[in-house]
Amino acid sequence: MTLSKLSLRNAQRQARDYLVYFVTIVMAAALLYSFNGLVFSQEVQFLSDEMKVLPLVIILASIVVVCVFGWLVNYATGFMLSRHSRELGNYILIGLTNRQVVRLFFLENLSAGGAALVAGLALGGLLYQILRAILFAMFGLPYHFSLTFSVPAAGLTLFYFTLIYLHALRKSRKRIRRMKIYDLIYYEKQNESIMIQKGKSRRRMFTVSILLGVAGTILLMTGELMTGIIGAGCLIAALFGFFLSFASGVPAFFDKRPAFKYQGQNLLIFRTLAAKLSTMGIVMAIISMIFTATIMTEGGGLVINGIFRGRFTENASFDLYFAIEEEDRDPGPYLDYISEHIPVEQSVLYQVYLTGSPALRNYIGSRTVYPYYNYDQDPVLRWSDYAALRSIAGYPAAEPEPGRYLIHCMAYLEEPLRNYDQPVSLGNITLSPGSIYTEHLSQSYGVTNGYGYILVVPDEAVEGLAVHHLAYAAKTVQPVPAAQYDALQEPPVDYAFVSTKANENAQVAIQTALFVFPLFYLALALTMTAATILTIQQLSETERYRRQFQLLKKLGMDRREMARALRNQFAIYYTMPAVPPLLIGVPFILNLASLTEPGIMVGMNSPLVIVAISLGIFFLIYAIYILLAYTGLKRNVLPQSTEFR
Amino acid sequence: MLQVQNIEKYYGSKNNVTQALNRVSFDVEDGEFLAIMGASGSGKTTLLNCISTIDTISAGKILLDGVSVADLSETELARFRRERLGFVFQDFNLLDTLTIEENIGLALSLNHRDPGTVQNRVRDIAQKLGITDILPKFPYQVSGGQKQRAACARAMVAGQTLLLADEPTGALDSKASKNLLEIMTVMNRDMGATILMVTHDAYSASYAKRVLFLKDGRVFNELLRGDRGRPVFYHEILDVLAALGGDVSDVI
Repeated sequence: MTLSKLSLRNAQRQARDYLVYFVTIVMAAALLYSFNGLVFSQEVQFLSDEMKVLPLVIILASIVVVCVFGWLVNYATGFMLSRHSRELGNYILIGLTNRQVVRLFFLENLSAGGAALVAGLALGGLLYQILRAILFAMFGLPYHFSLTFSVPAAGLTLFYFTLIYLHALRKSRKRIRRMKIYDLIYYEKQNESIMIQKGKSRRRMFTVSILLGVAGTILLMTGELMTGIIGAGCLIAALFGFFLSFASGVPAFFDKRPAFKYQGQNLLIFRTLAAKLSTMGIVMAIISMIFTATIMTEGGGLVINGIFRGRFTENASFDLYFAIEEEDRDPGPYLDYISEHIPVEQSVLYQVYLTGSPALRNYIGSRTVYPYYNYDQDPVLRWSDYAALRSIAGYPAAEPEPGRYLIHCMAYLEEPLRNYDQPVSLGNITLSPGSIYTEHLSQSYGVTNGYGYILVVPDEAVEGLAVHHLAYAAKTVQPVPAAQYDALQEPPVDYAFVSTKANENAQVAIQTALFVFPLFYLALALTMTAATILTIQQLSETERYRRQFQLLKKLGMDRREMARALRNQFAIYYTMPAVPPLLIGVPFILNLASLTEPGIMVGMNSPLVIVAISLGIFFLIYAIYILLAYTGLKRNVLPQSTEFR
Repeated sequence: MLQVQNIEKYYGSKNNVTQALNRVSFDVEDGEFLAIMGASGSGKTTLLNCISTIDTISAGKILLDGVSVADLSETELARFRRERLGFVFQDFNLLDTLTIEENIGLALSLNHRDPGTVQNRVRDIAQKLGITDILPKFPYQVSGGQKQRAACARAMVAGQTLLLADEPTGALDSKASKNLLEIMTVMNRDMGATILMVTHDAYSASYAKRVLFLKDGRVFNELLRGDRGRPVFYHEILDVLAALGGDVSDVI
């Protein structure tokens, strides 16, 4: 058998034994290829001018993703090297040179990587179509499925893969060349001595890390930025301390509590875990950090998306809107352009007045978060203008309430305003409080219908009030095309604030593509990498678990109990690295979401929903890996055969 | 205590059936130390696996205190193993992630004994078997002889009445073997353990009170030690082995 044949056979075995890893590499290739597809796609860049930045953003994200996958491949290659060290040692024993063994290992990994790349490119083609469909839907364009193969995208993916594999194999080559036959054959024995770590310093570290973890969690829960950062720091230190000292902390803990140790399955579960963690403490801490980064990245992406969508929902109430602040400016040129180019169904030209008093603003400010913005007095609308605006926005007509003023506000201000019972005096007219309306009515930009709230008064009450700005809102026959929106922004008519529903929608799509796509791309790569490492570590213990459960069977443990022990071991093993990310990630997302203007993040974009979705996505992917590992291990460790009935 | 009645065991598929045990019958009395000898492939480990309920028999009956083990359910079998049987294997079969003390205590843990009393019971039996010093150590830190004594402790700590030993001296040097066999004798004589030991080593077998010889899956011969000294019994065993056709150098 030639070396290349042997390598090929070993590569097949690698794909079978480390199926989860192989699938992840296929997915890695698919992810890289599909996002590279966006980099080279002409049609995607033609969606909008801003989308021309997308290739740069994707390439920057890809660099991070390549580093993450690079680490995975490097770790997995090193891991396989150690697992197959006896076999490699035997090759040298029968006369192969170290150099030949390096080549053998190199070819084996290259074949497995190459196969993964080919499969990944096929899968990536489909994934690219999904990304394309999402993008087109976001821009409101019709999508047609067309399976294409992008040579430059495949080339770039190949380039990334070459980097990843060359790096990993260069490191393995160094290790194999340095190794002696004895080291290779007795590699497992070297591991055994690391398995048990004692010593007072480690035990102290265990206690300190537990205390730090508790302190960090409490600090994070305060919700203050600085204490939160210190808390996160404490948790990270606790994380490393905990995973590094767990293996010696558990025996010390048990020594003091023999009754607890021998209770139920405690001994078996915690000792097995301690043994596992003693050889992978740092890796476990890094995995935990990666999970934290994943949840933060997903949460960050969703928060950004939520901000854009929230702003869009609030401010894109009208198909076409413009406002002029300066008193001496004439809306005429805008109106002329519109009447000439944009067919309009209904429109209103109106003014936003000021009451002369900030009474309502002060009242709101004393009861809830209300950032002062652009209005130093309470803004006012005439009833007739308000009725027209409601009609243009497609809302049902409001009932006029003589002698009263209405309030139209963002939903989050309804609660504090409901109790406002002060009358408003405008000139010689005094109005008492009336109904409150909360539909979206463009209320969170500077020159829109107030900032967060606006008073609506009878037409005659605005006599003599100061004007804040002049505005125009219209319902158009067709969505306003980008070219016409641009024309309204260009000289000589560039003195108004212009907004169109179509443009706002495109902006959401662009920002989502530029921020959310790369962040989720990164999050996916991070989760898959960390979950794969956890899983190959767990599956590599199959033989040890099998021996352990066979012995336990002989000692009289029944199958149900064995299955429970395995399940508990699994649950703790996979839960441990996921707890710190929850403690750090959730407060982070909540804090991030609170940084934007209030009243925007509501409904599906509310912080708690974002937390739930972020955790949902993360745990869904995580659960797939856990399930794969558990079923694989259970099948091999607790077979349903007569031999093991 | 144990009655083995006409048991047969077949392995393999339709076209390739191997008979491992052929109508084997014998009884083991309470407090007896019985050795089963035979060359490789004679069926002795299969016999031990069937008695220990790890393997099933094709025909016949195995009764322990009058109860047929074939009639027990999976849960009852597990309970039966942990309460009644103790195992000592050639390769020790200690869990390398547990200390010696924990390896012994595990048997009690599995038996759902009061966790508070486990440590004392382990220390008690460790003292009897002379392994107190090594209790806090891990298997890889102690010698083969010590590991096997720990395995003996585990096999008895939960009050198991029948100790099944499969080539217990197979991985030990002669000094450690002698030491272990003496301890097994003490366990049998002073601690009331009934021992069934499978071995191909005549020296080990000479510590038993009775030796059964298996050949090609059948009981070929039986030797009783009676009042004779161990060295005399040893030579008698060698004589039977010679008659069995095996090479003496194979079995020493």
